[in-house]
Amino acid sequence: MRTLLFILTTSSALAANLPPDHAKRMERGLKLFDSEVASLLKQNCLKCHGGEKVKSDFDMATREDLLRGGSHGSVVVPFDAKGSLLIALIRHEKEPNMPDSSPKLPEEVISKIAAWIDDGAPYSAPLITGKKPKKDSSVVTEEDRQWWAFRPLKKVQAKSIDELLLKNAKGMSFAPPAEKEVLVRRLYLDLTGLPPSEVSDTANLSDLIDGLLSSPAYGERWARHWLDVARYAESTGFEQDYDRPFAFHYRDFVIKALNSDMPYDQFVKWQLAGDEYEPQNPLALAATGFLGAGVFPSQITANEVESSRYDAMDDMLGTTSSAMLGLTLSCARCHDHKFDPLPTRDYYAMLSTFTTTTRMNVDVHPDGKVTSAVTTMNAKKNTPVVPGATRMMICAEGYDPIVMHTQGGPFFDKTHVLKRGNPLMKDGEATQGFLQVLSKPGDAKRWQWQPPKDAKVSGRRRSLSNWITDVDQGAGALLARVIVNRLWQHHFGTGLVPTPNDFGKTGTACTQPELLDWLAAKLIENGWKLKPIHKMILSSRAWQQSSARDAKKEAADPANGLFMRFVPQRLEAEAIRDSMLSVSGVLDKTMFGPGTRDENSKRRSIYFNIKRSQLIGSMVAFDLPEPLVSQGARPTTTVAPQALVLMNSPQARQWADGLAKRVSNAGDATKQIAMIYRLCFNRTPKADELAAGAEFLKSGASLADYCQVVLSLNEFIYVN
Amino acid sequence: MNTLSYSRRDMLARAGGGFGMLAFASMLEAAKNPFSPKVPMQVGGKAKSIIWIFTNGGPSQVDTWDYKPELAKRDGQTLEGFDPKTGFFPGSVGGLMKSPFEFKQHGASGTWVSDLFPKTAMHVDKMCFIHSCWTGSNNHSPALFMMNTGTTRMGYPCVGSWVNYGLGSESDSLPSFVVMSDPLNRGLPKGSAANWGAGFLPSVYQGTWLKPSGAPIDNLAVPASLTPQRQRAQLDLMARLNRESLAGSAIESELNARIESFELAYRMQTSAPEAFDVKGEPEHIQKLYGVNEKHCGHFAKQCLTARRMVERGVRFIQLYSGGMENQQSWDGHKDILGNHRGFANESDQPVAALISDLEQRGLLDQTLIVWGGEFGRLPIAQKGAQPGRDHNPHAFTVWMCGGGVKGGYHHGETDEIGFKAAIDKVSVHDLHATILAAAGLDHERLTFKFQGLDQRLTGVENPKVVKAVFA
Repeated sequence: MRTLLFILTTSSALAANLPPDHAKRMERGLKLFDSEVASLLKQNCLKCHGGEKVKSDFDMATREDLLRGGSHGSVVVPFDAKGSLLIALIRHEKEPNMPDSSPKLPEEVISKIAAWIDDGAPYSAPLITGKKPKKDSSVVTEEDRQWWAFRPLKKVQAKSIDELLLKNAKGMSFAPPAEKEVLVRRLYLDLTGLPPSEVSDTANLSDLIDGLLSSPAYGERWARHWLDVARYAESTGFEQDYDRPFAFHYRDFVIKALNSDMPYDQFVKWQLAGDEYEPQNPLALAATGFLGAGVFPSQITANEVESSRYDAMDDMLGTTSSAMLGLTLSCARCHDHKFDPLPTRDYYAMLSTFTTTTRMNVDVHPDGKVTSAVTTMNAKKNTPVVPGATRMMICAEGYDPIVMHTQGGPFFDKTHVLKRGNPLMKDGEATQGFLQVLSKPGDAKRWQWQPPKDAKVSGRRRSLSNWITDVDQGAGALLARVIVNRLWQHHFGTGLVPTPNDFGKTGTACTQPELLDWLAAKLIENGWKLKPIHKMILSSRAWQQSSARDAKKEAADPANGLFMRFVPQRLEAEAIRDSMLSVSGVLDKTMFGPGTRDENSKRRSIYFNIKRSQLIGSMVAFDLPEPLVSQGARPTTTVAPQALVLMNSPQARQWADGLAKRVSNAGDATKQIAMIYRLCFNRTPKADELAAGAEFLKSGASLADYCQVVLSLNEFIYVN
Repeated sequence: MNTLSYSRRDMLARAGGGFGMLAFASMLEAAKNPFSPKVPMQVGGKAKSIIWIFTNGGPSQVDTWDYKPELAKRDGQTLEGFDPKTGFFPGSVGGLMKSPFEFKQHGASGTWVSDLFPKTAMHVDKMCFIHSCWTGSNNHSPALFMMNTGTTRMGYPCVGSWVNYGLGSESDSLPSFVVMSDPLNRGLPKGSAANWGAGFLPSVYQGTWLKPSGAPIDNLAVPASLTPQRQRAQLDLMARLNRESLAGSAIESELNARIESFELAYRMQTSAPEAFDVKGEPEHIQKLYGVNEKHCGHFAKQCLTARRMVERGVRFIQLYSGGMENQQSWDGHKDILGNHRGFANESDQPVAALISDLEQRGLLDQTLIVWGGEFGRLPIAQKGAQPGRDHNPHAFTVWMCGGGVKGGYHHGETDEIGFKAAIDKVSVHDLHATILAAAGLDHERLTFKFQGLDQRLTGVENPKVVKAVFA
């Protein structure tokens, strides 16, 4: 009876290969297990493989786990000791020799283990009493779908953000509202990344929010947040780090999309498949730059061609899933995700979306016609741009790929499932599919888009975009949660989910689940438009709280997950520099087009050209992240190189000169100082601040010296 | 670069971040200051500083430290079963080629060294050789990334960043991790700054690249439009105004750290140029390194600067020998004889001097020197007018010296022609685990939470510290 039980639990594929005398052999194997093998395994193997540790992801505690193998693949093949990796390892025929860091096992021990495997490797009981086999991580269960981020949006009845926050506030109440002057400065910097340019005492706050949301500076500010998530740069990285001179159109797309309040679902669809939606719309084409913004090697040997192609597709898929779904899907490239229900087969099903997707430069003619540009990675053999046309880099299908420095082609016709992510270990062709855990049961065909007969595209990216934006059946609910969380994060400094790129089990739990779902539902109700959500957040009492210290609340809620106070935030690198340009009166507001790496440029920092090997020094000093993988939140460090930028860089001095010049006609020192405080801090200076400034100026320092001090003050760099 | 702050709020809330290896108490300490010196885990050696001489391009093991008499015997023979894709140029596969250099035994250990390194060879009894290194890529930049960051892909934290993160800094006025590249305009190593990037670690841990010409660090000099006195007055005013606005702020410690960072920056303006200036060194020291010698002066200055940094508490110093393209580095595809002779000539005396100098100052014991490239070279010839050797990921030699490693010791072996590591093979992850151990860091506990996982330098394939190298 016991024997029968074991056979039933073996997988059906295996059952097909059972030797005819398996029952008898299993019986014999069980005896061997009970008499000797169990204790041999416990003595020599279990400590590292299921006992204290599970090294190489290989667990021997139960038979199911043993047969599943580890990160080296299958370890034990029942009824086949010769074909079992375990035997080769303990015979020291293969590395790593086992048992690790111990002498080789005696021959008679090895032969007993081998005999036991030849008899089916049966267990009478787990090696650790009561141990249950690990769940099969390649199967997504109903329980997996119950993780909060994978569930449909909860219907939350509430009138406002404040109502929901107060419900959870554990008896606390909001801090008093910040003063109007403080709020105005906070609002300008939050929405536009620039300090208030004109005194706006009379404007009511609601009108001011609307005004700033429709200012072009809004898109320039908020696009930068998305560019971090999109690991945006304009060079290839790796050996030569060649420029991508036509990549900036993607940055311009993001600014334009945000300024026109493009519905977020469309924003997502175009980035994945703009060319499949509107093949002649330059903006839709430029949007696909999202997929192409990652790194690619500029020197590929013959045996690296395939692995570098899988790396490139992984970059597209990994960025898509981090940026749009807050999932760490790349973890499933080599093995089923260890924590989230993301099996490797789902990874490759998703990956095959991008099988034929590559970077290409196209010329968009004035009449809307789009033609291939024949270009090379180093731009040395580019054909000239068609007169009147705009050349842009897209990441799509159907045009001539940019010629890379490789000993192979631009892509392979098929994507395979790879064992352990290794292109040499193919496990069948992958066909397009989507994450099981985010798909209601049914045929994946419901999302499939069939391109018109004459189209040069596969339709796979548009199919992906259909699934990812499908609120009821696909990933749309999570898509909405992730983006409203990003909005919240940039308004408050911390998201409702504090790990914006990880909504899985290894992320930090959502502090306000009802509020998140309520906001996500509002987004969808509002036709996926972001501006109404901004307005809702900015109009809340929560956002308008004073940032004054409240020791009691800090002690009760150190991470401010209850949002019963407002924590001051340091401005990002771009906003610091842009603010300096603005108050010094030299800001060049020209929008769009190619960027520059000249630090003396007076345009907004989003127009810096981003070359991976030559990032702008002053930006990096203030924590601009390396654009290599999607970055959900920047760190805020305080390091000496930042001080050096403000003290000694030629630019800091130039901006100080500009500010000094701007206020030089304001009157006496007191009036000049007052004007500087108004421009920089949107307030009047206090008496002792005035006195300190006047004293400094009297001591022989120049007005520019003073302005440089003001531009370096904490109050300039922080938002209260 | 002490007294730098990382807000606790950020530490706790940042995307996928977290100081995995640190206990909560030290996490709070690190939140105040990411460079506060941390207690080493005491797992191996006693190195407080590491100097990594990266012989860029991949020196040939069989022409340097891995003596193979059998190769000489089989000179000209075809290497049976050789996969032409092993190297970079599948079309230039030649026969086995003996070393054009002469090998001799040195020291009490009887270590065989080729005539490329007459001066360094005098130190063999202090050096520890790992002959059985191997790596995963036959191409420069993936192999450089592998050697520096433990993966062939771009964008992961390098060894220096991990060491910095693990140990903090002992210098309060210098960057704690510096990189010096070729000063003769021959380019950066392939992949450039990604080789000393902090990847997903906070960017404060990235290497500071000292520019080979002009001011080595940006914005270090007081601008011409100011004087040091006026700048001092500025900082005083700034501190006064900042202090006044501190009262009642919810982020007082963060703002305080900012005030201090200006003071540190002010000190750096004088201490950093002083540390980089080797002209003040006594003449006999300059002579020892060869500072004024034409053939090696540039590298001598860098080695001497490295010693001055070690004295000032800098944790991790990486020196690149050679530039980028084939003949601009140890990448001897053509003319292995001329190529290796040239780069050995540039570095032999300075490296030997560095060992002597650290030793005579009692610093060798607490300073680990690592010497090696991103891969080795093939025992067969790369065909050409003057034969060279193509890339070989299967075997190369790395040596270490100081920091508590065993002198005159040889670990691991290649096969009899030096083609592949054969006995006691050491992977790059093993090597990294060993380097971390030399600095007292346990590679299994030095982790950082990113993308939901406790990431570490040495990956998940059970790398092993090569314990035998420690005395």
